[in-house]
Amino acid sequence: MKTIAIQNNIKPLLSPPINEKQSQEQQGNSFGKMLSNSITEVNSLQNEADKAIQELATGKGKGIHETMIALDKAEVSFKLMMQVRNKIIAAYEQIMRMQV
Amino acid sequence: MNFLDALNISSSGLGAQRVRMNVISSNLANINTTHTPEGGPYVRKDVVFAACPGSCSFKNILDNQVTANLPEVRVVGIINDGRQPLLRYDPQNPDANDKGYVAMPNINLIEEMVNMISATRSYEANVAAIKAAKKMALKAMEIGR
Repeated sequence: MKTIAIQNNIKPLLSPPINEKQSQEQQGNSFGKMLSNSITEVNSLQNEADKAIQELATGKGKGIHETMIALDKAEVSFKLMMQVRNKIIAAYEQIMRMQV
Repeated sequence: MNFLDALNISSSGLGAQRVRMNVISSNLANINTTHTPEGGPYVRKDVVFAACPGSCSFKNILDNQVTANLPEVRVVGIINDGRQPLLRYDPQNPDANDKGYVAMPNINLIEEMVNMISATRSYEANVAAIKAAKKMALKAMEIGR
C-alpha cells in the first residue's frame, strides 16, 4: 500500500505532463526568463541609485532621504541576487560532485 | 518587490516631515517680520497632511484598489494661521499705524519649538521604520544560508 502511494506521488515529478511544459514555454515563464527579469530589475535599481547620487551631488535632484532609500533598495536587491547566485552555484557544484 | 512598498511609504513620511520642518523654519525666521508683499505682518503658516494611496498617480490608485490599500502621506497644502496679529506699541517703526501700534506676527516661539521637536521625532520614527524594513529583508536572506 505504502509503496504505491509513494510511486503515485513521484510519478508527476518524473514525467511532467508534456502539455504543461509546452504552455509554460509559450508563456515564457521559464526559470531562466524569470532570473533574467529579476537581474534586469536589480540593474535598474542600481542605475536609479546611481542617478540619485548624481542628482544629489549636482544639487538638482531629490532630497537626502530619497537618495539614501534608493541606495538601500539597490543594496537589498543586489544582496538578494547574490543569494540566488550562491544557491545556483551550490546546486551546480553538487551536481558536478556526483559520482559517475 | 513587496518590501520596497514599506520603503516608499516611509519615504513619503520623510518628505512630509521635511516640508513641515521647512514651514517651521519659515515661521521662526519671520517671527519679527512686519512687512510682506501682501501687506501687513507675516502670517504663521501650517501644513496639512493627507493620506494618499500610492503616489497619487492613476496607476497607483488602481493598484491599490486591486491589492492592499496602504496610504502614503502627502502634503496637500500650506495654510495660513487665522490668529489675529499681535499689536505692539512702537511709534518709530515705519509700519506703525496712526496710534503708534505695529502689527507683529502672532507666532509663539515655544509653540514652534515644540512643533520642531515633534517634526524631528516623526522624521526619526520614519527612519527607524526604514531600518526595520531593511533589517527584515536582510534577515529573510539568511534563511538560505
